Amino acid sequence: MIKLAIASMRARTVPIILVVITLMTSMALLIGAERLQEAIKNGFNESLSGVDLVIGPRSSGIEMLLYTVFHLGRPTKNITIQTIEDLENITEVDWVVPIALGDSHKGFRVIATTSDYFQKVKYRGGQSLIFQKGAAFNKVSDVILGSAVVKKLGYQIGSSIFVTHGSGNGLAKTHDDFAFSVSGILEPTGTPSDHAVFVSLEGYELIHLGWGNGSKTLSLKNIDLTTIPPAILKPKTITAAYLGLSSKLELFRVAKVIREYPEEAVSAVIPGLVLAELWSIIGKVDKVFKVLNWLIIGISIIGMITMTITSLDSRTREMSILRAIGASPKHLSSLVLIESLFISCVAIIGAIVLVATITWVSKDFVSTDLGVELNMNWINANELGTLCIILLAGMGASFLPAMMVYRRSLHEGFRAN
Amino acid sequence: MILEVSSLKYQYPSEKILKFPDFNVSPGERILLVGSSGSGKSTLLNLLSGVLPLQVGTISLAGKDFSTLSSRQLDQIRADHIGIIFQSLNLIPYLSGYDNIILGPQFSRIRKARIMNIEKEIMDIAERLGLKEFEMRRSIVGLSVGQQQRVAVARALLGRPELILADEPTSALDPFTSRLFLEELGSAVDSANQAILVVSHDQVLEPFFDRVIHIGDRI
Repeated sequence: MIKLAIASMRARTVPIILVVITLMTSMALLIGAERLQEAIKNGFNESLSGVDLVIGPRSSGIEMLLYTVFHLGRPTKNITIQTIEDLENITEVDWVVPIALGDSHKGFRVIATTSDYFQKVKYRGGQSLIFQKGAAFNKVSDVILGSAVVKKLGYQIGSSIFVTHGSGNGLAKTHDDFAFSVSGILEPTGTPSDHAVFVSLEGYELIHLGWGNGSKTLSLKNIDLTTIPPAILKPKTITAAYLGLSSKLELFRVAKVIREYPEEAVSAVIPGLVLAELWSIIGKVDKVFKVLNWLIIGISIIGMITMTITSLDSRTREMSILRAIGASPKHLSSLVLIESLFISCVAIIGAIVLVATITWVSKDFVSTDLGVELNMNWINANELGTLCIILLAGMGASFLPAMMVYRRSLHEGFRAN
Repeated sequence: MILEVSSLKYQYPSEKILKFPDFNVSPGERILLVGSSGSGKSTLLNLLSGVLPLQVGTISLAGKDFSTLSSRQLDQIRADHIGIIFQSLNLIPYLSGYDNIILGPQFSRIRKARIMNIEKEIMDIAERLGLKEFEMRRSIVGLSVGQQQRVAVARALLGRPELILADEPTSALDPFTSRLFLEELGSAVDSANQAILVVSHDQVLEPFFDRVIHIGDRI
């Protein structure tokens, strides 16, 4: 029966191939979208670890987490360093890593921070950032690059770079009076750190000396930098700070204390909670996309059934011949089912290969340009489950033409001559 | 007896009742069923092969009474005991001649069990029918009508079913080719002692058969 079904399909190659392509691309779309969504979700969830609280100017938690951790959007306000120093004195606060944002380098965000950042801020279940080359800040001019920056811009240890004021769009001005020198390169992490340019807070403060209202009044080229007192380079304001607590049990209480800090309006957000809130919002959009994807799959299956039913008329003779030589209606309906099974299986294998190929081809581009790390798996258990559901749905739906064949063939005989 | 038919009647919805004569077929016997167009020849073949359900009368094939058999059992009887040659040959166009022949015993364990060496068996039948091997390997659409007819006969004969039913097998052939075809068919079935029941409107074929039965009564 299988040989016969295959021979029959070979006689209808073009419509069969078209149905396989339709089903394959719709399944690839479903798996691809799920894989991308999973990669984005993992990227978000794994970007920050070991940080108990993120402190910043009063704003929504999601907004703050997006611009501090994920480099999405721009901070609009800063908090004073005095506030950070006060919060550092809370007994349960173990460590504080301040960060200052606002500048960029060729599209990559500049993060001004301290060397503690590379020890305290972790990713993916507590993994530390590792230096592929070099080390943390030693001099004011030191800059540390994420792996994606190095990959895209081709820098090496010792390369000189200039930082652009602001996001680098429009009429942004470059801090061309002070060159940073690459002192460290980080190992790839699959997180936004790969796309970051790290400078020290002192270096950041230095390039902003003499700046006011978006323009500079002082050129560092005319200044002997060794004569600048260290106090001048101590930042006055920062964008946010990451906090680690000595006791996680005190997390909610410390967050409340910080939010009630009387000297300045500050927010203290718990990253895990904010991410959960973020996913509950994104999840709704995600569900809509999933429904759309399943509709596409449904339409493809309907297409397969339509093709099968349409071909039944032209296959009447074939069916009646088989019936006359002893094929039972069950044999004939099983021919239809074998055909649907074959189409579904080929489409599934094709979809897996298509997704793997697209993932392999676009992996670097997606990682470098979109900051999303795609998994190079052929297929995972969830995807296999989804494909099995599609296979069963396809088989279930093909019972309709199979039943039509069964009923029709009950009365087919010599009159089909 | 391989086939026994008695008191057989059949009625399509809103049509007159077709009444068929009683007859028996012995192993190796050649019988011609003659009837004009619309006399119910195809209906009789559908009844004898178990495709149409039995309404009135008795049909017994290889000792099995059709009235006691389910639709599934009738399908199996047809696969096991009957080889069919269609008027328009009804070969599957996307298969080669060889694959069409092999399809004959496809649905019967009994017929398959009779074939010790399928290659040799097919070649034997082909040789008796004057069919060359390279012709069998060709696609059906590349064969002449005569070659296609031989493939159709080979398909019906493979696995040595006890009864061969042939529906107007010579209607597309000229008288000379018809005579040759019936001689070849006769010699092919004789070697396996298979009975043959040919339905035709052409009484000229009578000399090639042991017995002629006329059908065509309507009530």
